[in-house]
Amino acid sequence: MGKRVIIVGGGVAGMQAAITLKKTGCSPLLIEKNIALGGKLNNWDRLFPSQTSANEIINGLTDEIASLNIKNILCGEVSEMRHDEDKIEVNLTDGNTYEADAIIIATGFDLFNATQKEEYGYGVYNNVITSADLEEMFRQGEVKTSTGVPPSSVAFLHCVGSRDLQVGQGHCSRVCCITGVKQAIEIRQALPECQVYNFYMDMRMFGPGYEELYKEAQEKWKINFIRGRISEASQTIDNRIRIKAEDTLAGRPLKLTVDMLVLLIGKKAAACNRKLAADLGLSLRESGFYAPKDNFTDNVCTCKENVFIAGTALAPKTIGEAMNDGTAAAIKAYEYLNRFENGK
Amino acid sequence: MSYFEPFIIPFSVGVVILFAVMWTKFISWISALPKSDKKLIIRNAVSKATFAALWEVFSECLLHRRISRVNPRLWYMHMSLAFGWFLLIVAGKIEGTLYLKSPVNPPYVDVFFRKYFPEAHIPFMGFIMDLLLLFILSGLFMAVLKRFKPSVYGMKKTTKHTAGDRIALSSLWAIFPLRLTAESFNSALYDSGSFLTGTIGNLFAFLFPEHVLQILNETSWWLYSTALGTFFVAIPLSRYLHIFAEIPLIFLRSFKIRAAAVPTTFTNLEIAACSRCGICIDPCQLGRNDIANDIQSVYSLRNIREKCNTVENSDNCLMCGRCENICPVGIELNTIRISQRYKFRKNDNPYNYRYIGNRDFSQGEGKTGYFAGCMTMLSPKIIQAMEKIFRQSGEEVWFADKDGGVCCGRPQKLAGNIDAANRMMELNKSLFIKHGITTLVTSCPICLKVFKEDYKLENIRVIHHTQYIHELVQKGVLKLKKDNRKIFTYHDPCELGRGSRIYEQPRAVLSLAGTLVEIDETRENSLCCGGSLANTRLSFENKNLISKTLTDRFEATGAQYLVTSCPLCKKTLSRTSNIPVIDIAEAVS
Repeated sequence: MGKRVIIVGGGVAGMQAAITLKKTGCSPLLIEKNIALGGKLNNWDRLFPSQTSANEIINGLTDEIASLNIKNILCGEVSEMRHDEDKIEVNLTDGNTYEADAIIIATGFDLFNATQKEEYGYGVYNNVITSADLEEMFRQGEVKTSTGVPPSSVAFLHCVGSRDLQVGQGHCSRVCCITGVKQAIEIRQALPECQVYNFYMDMRMFGPGYEELYKEAQEKWKINFIRGRISEASQTIDNRIRIKAEDTLAGRPLKLTVDMLVLLIGKKAAACNRKLAADLGLSLRESGFYAPKDNFTDNVCTCKENVFIAGTALAPKTIGEAMNDGTAAAIKAYEYLNRFENGK
Repeated sequence: MSYFEPFIIPFSVGVVILFAVMWTKFISWISALPKSDKKLIIRNAVSKATFAALWEVFSECLLHRRISRVNPRLWYMHMSLAFGWFLLIVAGKIEGTLYLKSPVNPPYVDVFFRKYFPEAHIPFMGFIMDLLLLFILSGLFMAVLKRFKPSVYGMKKTTKHTAGDRIALSSLWAIFPLRLTAESFNSALYDSGSFLTGTIGNLFAFLFPEHVLQILNETSWWLYSTALGTFFVAIPLSRYLHIFAEIPLIFLRSFKIRAAAVPTTFTNLEIAACSRCGICIDPCQLGRNDIANDIQSVYSLRNIREKCNTVENSDNCLMCGRCENICPVGIELNTIRISQRYKFRKNDNPYNYRYIGNRDFSQGEGKTGYFAGCMTMLSPKIIQAMEKIFRQSGEEVWFADKDGGVCCGRPQKLAGNIDAANRMMELNKSLFIKHGITTLVTSCPICLKVFKEDYKLENIRVIHHTQYIHELVQKGVLKLKKDNRKIFTYHDPCELGRGSRIYEQPRAVLSLAGTLVEIDETRENSLCCGGSLANTRLSFENKNLISKTLTDRFEATGAQYLVTSCPLCKKTLSRTSNIPVIDIAEAVS
């Protein structure tokens, strides 16, 4: 049996790390708190910028995990970790304890709780939903308002719980801009008669194909991009959403009534970070995400040489980036575990 | 008879300088008061307000009764020094009057009576004088102890004094031990003392030969006179000006003169009346959480008096009113801070906010008006709850800012932008009058405060929705089902509690809807949520730090809901609370 590595978190980063480690001859143990592997991707329908099905990615990874016979524990929630020189002990809430020579933290992120921005009316007005709720509608194959009819107008609000010091989220969640573009197009594809408005601060199209998709959204899909924040939303008598905003390019206030308001919620540092970081003696960024040992050369390593981090536990990332992290953390863990064999 | 002796020179010079400087200050301040204030003086001077003021001067300047509510030991310390010294002066005057059979003597004869007349043995007076001196010395001992161990007096921190105040303090502290020494030497020579100075005098007589005693006696009276003179000169320059400044302050205040956002010379008098006792330091949440330790009212007032206040200092304050609530002198600390901000204001462009014109976004009609307020408009759950309550009330309601409105003006006032605030206030007031409402309900305590204090809405009753709900419940219009399994805890918003003295109604309403459990600092001692819009310098992290110290305590009560009645408190507390934070309107609708 090879060296034992525990991977906490069975999302894409964790799964990719487990697969890579297994191939190097180590024995990874994947611990996932939910009922299935795949993490938040399980709740997503299609992925930007290519509209690839999320299931396709998850199935590919789970199949490989099954064929490689990688041990995994589902519904396993970590209660405590103990770091003891070259051993790490992981206690689960069910009372079981596992020991490992190295650990990879791939615990991901939390979605921003939109009820914290009460002014947008999430949880108060029926037709204010989040990007995650819309994704669920796409998965169900039907976009409809609370009264069960397809909306004739939809507004997207970017940066809800991102770049907003009022809710303690100073960082950019990176992927919501392109998610907003993707979802706006998907609405137009599903409901060609529907008017779509995107209210944004600025569009951060950093990835390959993103800028092109943004252009396509405007030219082909006739989506209205309005630079400005929505200041408040209220409900009309017929359950529509009345929006007050400012068009900062035109320099004037704007009022608009739509059938549905979609809040593009940001990525928040996972609530468990604080506890696990304290258990293992790791440091966090101001945003609450884990701080790696180094931003460049050791960006999946920590100050503890047998603790590694991958994916959105570090910062908001795309699926591809999170998978790269999984591979990188696995290789770094392998290097550490074989440091004597390599003559170090 | 002049009774002149050289050693009285320092004392006499001190007295002359003290009264010259002090009277110049007081007279110039009072004569520069605005006309309206002077009218108040004339109208109220011959009334029971004067007697009330006289009583207050006795009970506060001498007995310091308000301090007794803070801490009994602290009260004894302040009281024994002030009242003890006062009694010593009075007793000295009686002694002089009795012995010389005339009430009109130079002041130094009464003060240095033993030195002048060591042979005088008026029955009981020697004993009384020694007793009073002992009384003062006990207070002095406590004052010294307070500098080293404020915890004995229930204080975590005491004032950090400047060099000037320390010199004044040292001369004050020197006065009474020097008097004790001087009288004891006098007694050693002439057997003039009672149980205290007599006993020490006997000891001195045993220790020193007579010619040495002569020199020591002369020297100690010189020193005593010098300490008194130094202290008197220091009074107008130091915090000890409060001893005298509080007297005209009490009179003017009982004539209903108040500090104003655009400061008058009454503010100077209030600032001079600050004794820098430091009682305001501990309640300050910025100090408690170690966010700022130089902005507390005692330091701000000192900066203002010494003309070195900064805009940073003036802006970095929650204006929660906790210091004003506890100040034993009753200084209007929040108003003084606003007037400082007015002085530092940047927003002085006459065109600012001109564009608001005469907008009217109101909806509906009715004798009852509802002004939700900007923060409430950002909290749709409160709006929904209020709309439901209005429907249940059966009343027609005019909704002032349903589709947006103009700010009540209080945030601008708190920032010192009085002109901008006035512009907003005028517009809103004209709307209230135009729509002919008789009752104005608001959901925001910040709006409530400004409606009540600055709008001068005659014939319109201004209430907060907490009061409105309470009245509906009392009239039986709003029926609450008591559910004892619902456990509430309540947070008093600063502007509703300390600001508007509304403590009972929310508690009465919550007790009818469920069980109310409370933390120990509530009502007038309640804590600020940290989100105060009065502080423009506080970082988000520090706001959350303050909020967290509260929500931790609220959660420890075991309550299921943290109820408050201010949309800003709700927003601030919900960022750090693990239990749901709801408005009182949500709790009952």
